[in-house]
Amino acid sequence: FRFKDSLAEDLRRADLVISHAGAGSCLETLEEGKPLIVVINEKLMNNHQLELAKRLHRDGHVLYCNCSTLVETLQSMDLSTLKPFPPGQPEKFALFMDKVVGFQ
Amino acid sequence: TGGHTTEILRLLSCLSESYSPRHYIFADSDKMSEAKIRSFEQKRAETFSNSQFTLDRIPRSRGVRQSWTSSVVTTLYSILYSLPLTYKLKPDLILCNGPGTCVPVCISALLLGLLGMKRAIIVYVESICRVETLSLSGKILYYFSDYFIVQWPDLKEKYPKSVYLGRIV
Repeated sequence: FRFKDSLAEDLRRADLVISHAGAGSCLETLEEGKPLIVVINEKLMNNHQLELAKRLHRDGHVLYCNCSTLVETLQSMDLSTLKPFPPGQPEKFALFMDKVVGFQ
Repeated sequence: TGGHTTEILRLLSCLSESYSPRHYIFADSDKMSEAKIRSFEQKRAETFSNSQFTLDRIPRSRGVRQSWTSSVVTTLYSILYSLPLTYKLKPDLILCNGPGTCVPVCISALLLGLLGMKRAIIVYVESICRVETLSLSGKILYYFSDYFIVQWPDLKEKYPKSVYLGRIV
């Protein structure tokens, strides 16, 4: 398929996700708790997209490769090394805002 | 736009009902945000009885990779457009998270404050995608916001006046 409104269904049924480094794709996948391999195409992407993928890789949440090393990565990967990605905490933001605005 | 809208709605998800009414401002070229916002507000209305919100569109300040000089022109146009809107809404609090749309709105709010008409608190939350560098909107609003929130420690180090609360979306 080319485009869908939501990949949530497909994500839930997947055992492994191979994706580009778009933030939305990465974060949605990690939040579903699915193992993720991020494929980088340095020619297509601007630097800022890489920041998040690199950081997620550095923190051990995703595997990382480029188009030519994908097959090798799939053959040698050990998904058990991936660390779970804890969800963000908007409650902390709400607490901060209440202080800023003066609602205590 | 897409990612920004998703992020900001997550930020709003834990705010109490005192943060009302909510006025959403987004780019006229944005096709998807309206549906996301309405869906969010609909869900919210199930828990909170007095949910009030409005939607407004302003001309997009800058397209992806638009040149510097033309961006200044389009941003000025967006500012002219958002001045009367901001004057009408007279917000107490402006919450923004990075799309080009936020710059004209914040500049309008600053102008209104300077003219003594209404002083809004400006809170900027940089996107979770920004780990090591700030977006262009972020670089501008770092100096003009009251509170500038980043979501990764590297940015807190580079921008000491920022606030770091960890990941909040």
